[in-house]
Amino acid sequence: MPMLTNILRKKPALGPGMWLFLGLFAVLILIIPHITGLTTTTLLSRIYILAIFGMSYDILRGYTGIINLGHALFFGGGTYIAGIMFSRMGATLDILLLAVLVSMVFAAIVAYIMGQFAFRGSGFTGVIACAMITLAFGEIGRHSAETLREYTQGADGLTFRVPLMFQDRVMMYYYALLFLIAMTLILRQFVNSPTGRVLQAIRDNDQRAKFLGYDTKKYKLIALVIAGMASAAAGIMFALLTRFANTELLTVQSTLNALLYTIVGGTGTLYGAIFGTAFVQLAQNYLLELRGIHEIFSRWLLFFGAIYVLVVLYMPKGLVGTYLQLEEKWRKRKIAA
Amino acid sequence: MHIFLMLLINGLAEGALIFLMAAGLSIILGLLGVVNFTHGVLFIWGGYVSIWIFSMTGSFPIAIIAAVAAGFIMGLIFERLFIRPVYGNVTAQILITLGLGVVFTDMARLFWGPNPIPASRPEFMDGTWVIGAVIISQYRIFLIIIGILVAIAINYLVNRTKVGMVMRAGIQSPDMVQALGINIKVYFAGVFAGGAALAALGGALYVPLVGSVWSGMGINNQILAFIVIILGGMGSFYGSAVGSIIIGLTVAFVSWFYPPLTVYTTVLLLLLVLTLKPEGLFGMAVRN
Repeated sequence: MPMLTNILRKKPALGPGMWLFLGLFAVLILIIPHITGLTTTTLLSRIYILAIFGMSYDILRGYTGIINLGHALFFGGGTYIAGIMFSRMGATLDILLLAVLVSMVFAAIVAYIMGQFAFRGSGFTGVIACAMITLAFGEIGRHSAETLREYTQGADGLTFRVPLMFQDRVMMYYYALLFLIAMTLILRQFVNSPTGRVLQAIRDNDQRAKFLGYDTKKYKLIALVIAGMASAAAGIMFALLTRFANTELLTVQSTLNALLYTIVGGTGTLYGAIFGTAFVQLAQNYLLELRGIHEIFSRWLLFFGAIYVLVVLYMPKGLVGTYLQLEEKWRKRKIAA
Repeated sequence: MHIFLMLLINGLAEGALIFLMAAGLSIILGLLGVVNFTHGVLFIWGGYVSIWIFSMTGSFPIAIIAAVAAGFIMGLIFERLFIRPVYGNVTAQILITLGLGVVFTDMARLFWGPNPIPASRPEFMDGTWVIGAVIISQYRIFLIIIGILVAIAINYLVNRTKVGMVMRAGIQSPDMVQALGINIKVYFAGVFAGGAALAALGGALYVPLVGSVWSGMGINNQILAFIVIILGGMGSFYGSAVGSIIIGLTVAFVSWFYPPLTVYTTVLLLLLVLTLKPEGLFGMAVRN
């Protein structure tokens, strides 16, 4: 499918067949909530929202070459801020707007402080120090949520009501879809902007970018702030979908989920996160259904870790990256012949 | 005053345990240039294996030896199958060791169940000494002694033996060492497994101290060890020893006076050191 490649490579030059395929696909996406049950609808909404969490990670891992092990802080932070505000101040649209505002400010400030310390080093030791320091930041977030029981209900988790317009599952599906499309366009704009290009230069060679006169730390900070805000936005949507927040959202495991979405989909492709999230979520669901056959299938984390290690070792480019690579090879062979 | 003395001993004992993890991490980082996020898992496995063997044999020394052996074997397997393909690729190392961490944490839960398993101290070290108003737990003194012995042993191994010489040369120039007819890969595997065994030893000794073993105890201690590594200066063995003592004392004192602040204090301490001295207290160049 060379046309699919064109879309993935962000230069759509589509033939009529591809337009038809895309049109049918779009129609299918739009009518899915009316032809399937609530379970599928909710699962898809979940995928759309988590895909943005994954995509925000791709800005860091795929476009800037940063490993942030405290990324869950932003996502979980968004969910908790929305949840706490809904349960304390009422579940109205005004409060939602306020929650969006608060969590954006929260994400920006936390990302800024985190980056100030995490991006001190450069090169080999810089990457390691960054991973360790962000891990420590993430644990502070989880620890805070566990100890501030008065607001977060600690490990029991926080259940809350959401504004009326988000209570219908089918409508929520469309909001999630809209959110995915809007955020994808925004983030795509960001990675293709001049700033985004500098980030890619930093990813490819930190030192060279520095010698070219770019303040690499400043650019990394920008990437972290943008990724943090996108992730917090996804966190708020997740709150609207699940109406529940627990400390699980703030653990390293939560960060690793986002990391898995991007590496399965393909780092540095942005769209990869959508495929990655869909793959991981569907695999998780499928395995849980196999639970009746053997108890081992209920141990999702075993499979999670195994997929993770295998992808890093044998398919480092992920689904989309590998597809693009194969496609390239196939085209070259065609030209040669 | 007696509280001060008691906290000092608690802190040193805590520091000795953190040191067992941090020393392994530090040497692996210094020689192999690998950052090992499986350390927390090896710590957990050390704890579980020691409890398991202890319940079967009733012998504390055998339990400890079994835990160390388990850590060593796991280290060898990890190095051979998962670390060796990604030497030199820091990002892949972080990702792979994190993934292994998830798998083996869940495996521990699969084998030993999700609930904490209670553990008791060996009888011959369960007592306390009372000197004036100060109550000293024998087990904590034992931990401090173990920490000192391990530090001396590592120092001797690295600086006084032929093996240590090869290791130090390997940090400088692995290719040259290989060219001289020494199989540096064996040393790499040995160092990784040795570090893993130290982490498992830490886990096995930690369990009797806190009285139970659970699968979540790895991450906390791993983060403390990471803080020590950065605090002391990456790849510096002395740095990790001094850092362990500082963090151990901090944890002991803060958790005595106001426990909820413990996590914040250790991280704040780290940020403070990074602000004042970005390369860490004993920072030096790590193999690039």
